[in-house]
Amino acid sequence: MKTDDPAWMRLREHAASQITPGFAERVMRAAGAAASPLFVAQFAMCAATAALCLAAVLLFHSRASGEEDASSLAGWSEIAAQASDVDQGL
Amino acid sequence: MDESSTSTLGDRVRLAQRGDSAAMRDLIVSYQRRVAGFVYAITGRSDSVEDLCQMVFVKMARALGRLNAPDQFESWLFRLARNTCIDHLRRQKLRRIFTPFAPEHENVPEPEGSVGTEELDALRHALSQIRPKDRALLALVQEGRSHAEIAATFRTSVAAVKARLHRAREQLRKYYQSDED
Repeated sequence: MKTDDPAWMRLREHAASQITPGFAERVMRAAGAAASPLFVAQFAMCAATAALCLAAVLLFHSRASGEEDASSLAGWSEIAAQASDVDQGL
Repeated sequence: MDESSTSTLGDRVRLAQRGDSAAMRDLIVSYQRRVAGFVYAITGRSDSVEDLCQMVFVKMARALGRLNAPDQFESWLFRLARNTCIDHLRRQKLRRIFTPFAPEHENVPEPEGSVGTEELDALRHALSQIRPKDRALLALVQEGRSHAEIAATFRTSVAAVKARLHRAREQLRKYYQSDED
């Protein structure tokens, strides 16, 4: 099949007819909507989400460990008091 | 392409690289029809021609600054177009694996005769039977590119281009003829 084969020519013509008016302007607009600010915004959003999640985990962890420490201390105080009672009884 | 038009193209590319939007627009307008034909020959879908062309030219506009040899613009642009189409076909194939649609629902064929003549339908059918990379090769030949230019586009040797082209032509002829019978 040669370059000027009618079927290939029709194929090219049909393809070219799919390009609607104003194509170049649309491309320029899309290309002008610079990729970098979008990338920076996406990156910032990801970083903020990650920071929020980390803060939430740390807060939850410090609260949970604080409560655990308090209950352990209370338990030890009770044991110490009981031990002191036993010592006095002896 | 003669020497003067090559230098004019090189100048236009250099202007576009420097941010001249008129030169950039001029490049898009000059190549949009040819890229559309190339894209259509590879994908065989007229409904995705414009979207794919837009992707190709947006990539072109964003990457043009990194093109070191403005005189090689055409080879570079068609390489960009070929890679975009092959990525698109690959993504489509992957999507077909992960979506619960039957293939007949995924890619509704363009009705016979809806895109033109029987000749065109036969060519589209024959092209759909061969590998996308071979379709790209044949489309570049139809673009009037020399073997050396195609080798530069595909980043391969002229001998490899000739061998692959011979095989692709044989296959296309076989399917085109069997379709005509």
